[in-house]
Amino acid sequence: MTMLHVILPLALVIAAGAVAAFVWTVRSGQLDDVDTPPRRMLLDDDERRR
Amino acid sequence: MSVAAALREPLLDDAPARAAAIAARPEPATCVHCGLPAPAPVVDDEQRVYCCTGCAIVARTLRGHGLERFYAVRDADAPPPAPARATGRSYAELDDPAHQRLHVEVGADGVAHAALYLEDLRCSACVWLVEATPRCLPGVREVRVDLGRGKADVTFDPARVRLSQIAGHLDRVGHPPHPYRAAVRDLERRRQDRALLIKLGVAGAAVGNLMLLAAALYAGLFSTMAAADVAFFRWASMLVAVPALGFAASPFFRTALGSLRARRMHLDLPLSIGIVVGLGWGAANVVRGAGEIYFDSLAMLVFLLLVSRWVVASHQRRASSATEMLLALTPSRARRLAPTASDAPTDAELREVPIEAIAVGDRVLVRAGEVIPVDGEVAAGRSSLDAGLLSGESRPIEVGPAAEVFAGTLNLVAPLIVVARTSGEATRVGRMVARIDELSRQRATIERTVDRLAGRFVAVVMAAAALTIVGWAPWSVGAGLEHAMALLVVTCPCALALATPLAVAVALGRAARRGILIKGLHALETVATPGTIVLDKTGTLTEGRLEVRSWIGDPGARALAAAVERGSAHPIARALAALVPDAPLATGLHEDLGGGIRGDVDGRAVAVGAVPWQRLRGTPIPTELEAAIAELADRGESPVAIAVDDRVVAVAGLGDPLRPGVADDLATLRAAGWRLELLSGDDPRVAVAIGAALGLPAEACRGGVSPEGKLAHVRALRDGGATVVMVGDGVNDAAAMTAASCGIAVAGAAEIALEAADVLVRAPGLGGVVATVAGARATLATIRRSLRISLVYNLVAGSLAAGGVIHPLLAAALMPLSSLSVLASSMRSRAFREVRP
Repeated sequence: MTMLHVILPLALVIAAGAVAAFVWTVRSGQLDDVDTPPRRMLLDDDERRR
Repeated sequence: MSVAAALREPLLDDAPARAAAIAARPEPATCVHCGLPAPAPVVDDEQRVYCCTGCAIVARTLRGHGLERFYAVRDADAPPPAPARATGRSYAELDDPAHQRLHVEVGADGVAHAALYLEDLRCSACVWLVEATPRCLPGVREVRVDLGRGKADVTFDPARVRLSQIAGHLDRVGHPPHPYRAAVRDLERRRQDRALLIKLGVAGAAVGNLMLLAAALYAGLFSTMAAADVAFFRWASMLVAVPALGFAASPFFRTALGSLRARRMHLDLPLSIGIVVGLGWGAANVVRGAGEIYFDSLAMLVFLLLVSRWVVASHQRRASSATEMLLALTPSRARRLAPTASDAPTDAELREVPIEAIAVGDRVLVRAGEVIPVDGEVAAGRSSLDAGLLSGESRPIEVGPAAEVFAGTLNLVAPLIVVARTSGEATRVGRMVARIDELSRQRATIERTVDRLAGRFVAVVMAAAALTIVGWAPWSVGAGLEHAMALLVVTCPCALALATPLAVAVALGRAARRGILIKGLHALETVATPGTIVLDKTGTLTEGRLEVRSWIGDPGARALAAAVERGSAHPIARALAALVPDAPLATGLHEDLGGGIRGDVDGRAVAVGAVPWQRLRGTPIPTELEAAIAELADRGESPVAIAVDDRVVAVAGLGDPLRPGVADDLATLRAAGWRLELLSGDDPRVAVAIGAALGLPAEACRGGVSPEGKLAHVRALRDGGATVVMVGDGVNDAAAMTAASCGIAVAGAAEIALEAADVLVRAPGLGGVVATVAGARATLATIRRSLRISLVYNLVAGSLAAGGVIHPLLAAALMPLSSLSVLASSMRSRAFREVRP
């Protein structure tokens, strides 16, 4: 079961990476307003097609 | 601008023309812009019909900039229709240096940033329209909308475009802007939000990974698993759990330490003890290689707690942003006259400036329909003022040159020029606001039921743990210690901690959807137990406008009176004109401000006005009508005399009508056990008459009460130990609201009342108060039910743990089960649930 000793820490490192990415999204303000961007995104797409 | 002015003028100032338009168009048309019926339509050059000038301005602006796609975008989103609110103002005050210093930030590259509150931001189409601004105005770099806060961040090049131009454009597309004053508070709030969100994310990641590790360990119980691998998994769990939870649960630790220092029980204290003991004991067991670890359950607990805290915080933030938005709508500008200007100033002699820039001795112009911005003296003009928000008086006050006027009163009829004596914080309103701020700070924090419960719970658990150690001591002290620890961890008041925030989060969310914004959480607890409700009269129980309530004398004179009064914008005139809506307009109209109005209808001379005015003109009043006048005054109604061909033929009694449904709402409240009282700044006779109409005894109705009197009365009631809820809408109620156990502000409330209130009801009338009281009661019932569930769970699990028979698998199953049952119980809550017909 020695492979566990490699895979488990590796999994935890990946999880830590995900947490770090989340912290970055919060710090950069991407989650400050979650109401407007979904609506804006839809409209922007229409705009380009036109 | 010229379009706006051209469209607006006839509407506001030319009542006869509007009356003719109504008469010519019996079928109400539908507005091309908002789709609502247009009973008094505004027609543009191309014969398109609008319901109001606001819609006409917006539609014209949209076409002018090729933004017609707005209508297509909007249809896809389908918000409820509402007329546009474009005002066509110039917004010149935004360019004033005093304003620029406060609200505009210029970067090193010369690009300026400003934040604005926008009215009526409701849907995707609004976002699209506002963010399309750079396409219409060169020099605007970007506009970003925050729909939740009703805010727009504008980036522009000050060398190419002025802020007033941007504001004017936003106004003309139907979103009148206001300076965003909460920038500093916003920054602090955002910092807190982000910190909480990061902790939530860390706790969530810890839960997921610890669950995986725990699943492996539990699975290992039933098969053979090498002891070295078990130890490896346990060490890995510890390395994840201790730092992650130590960080994520830090807010609980901080409050717990704070409550220890303040020697007051707080729910976070037992929680923190549970978390710390659990982590410590689990870590100790990992190190010594025996015993249970509780990391997965603890992580789940911390995660769920943070989630509910996040939900409650975001609801509260929504309520406070909505309040700030309403606060921003009050005028912060004044129209200042140049020192050389005459009493009839031209546009060039007028300057819109921020209120901060008004100095003592400056003359300001206040048009009809505007709020007076300063305390001062009338220099020119005659008009009627509505001082309702300030004094609670529902009848208009007549003013002329040299009369004293106060900031916060509404100018109703004609333009006034006012010489400022004081402005800003030195005005009567300003001093009242300062006093209310002081009172709110002094407001005592009340002890929460849940905190008391938590205190008792901790005491019981601690006693049980001690008993477990003592009980096991004859056999083995070590086993006793271990079972006591198991008890502490298992009963760690998981469900207890979740019960309150979950129920509160559900209640706040549902209440907000029904237009009830709850700012102070203690309000929910306060209004759940009946006490005394003190009601304001004007604007709360009544509509805050005048209506003809009785008519004595010749009924045929109604149409004549309506025909004459149609030509005036005075509130009394509007009430009389409403008697016969299709009456033709009288000719030869002449209005004596503060007296009455006369004119000719079908060759008959009609004069309608105050009784003293009729006497002054020498019009005879028959004796039976004299008696009627005295009787009306006793009933609290204002008498108006109608004379035809120089003889008074009828007397109308005018009063402030009750809001529909108020009587039923009061009956509901009374049936729920509340004592009702009426406090009014209006004439005592009016207060008693209104109270009688609502079934309130005369001793519960007080009239002629000053704001200070209201405050003193509420204080006296509270000193008697009662729960006092103050319901009101005016500046005169605000101080009393802060002194009450809970203040409720109803729709249309004054700025300071919004600030002072704990609960903000957006619909007029008392429906929201009834819903708040019922909802609060249901919320507390839900909390109690959840607490019972968690108590049963804790009793079972606790006794099993104390008996030493609890299996780790059973504990792991019971822990989320109790949380889930509390979650289900909170969601099923009847609190603020919408009543479906």
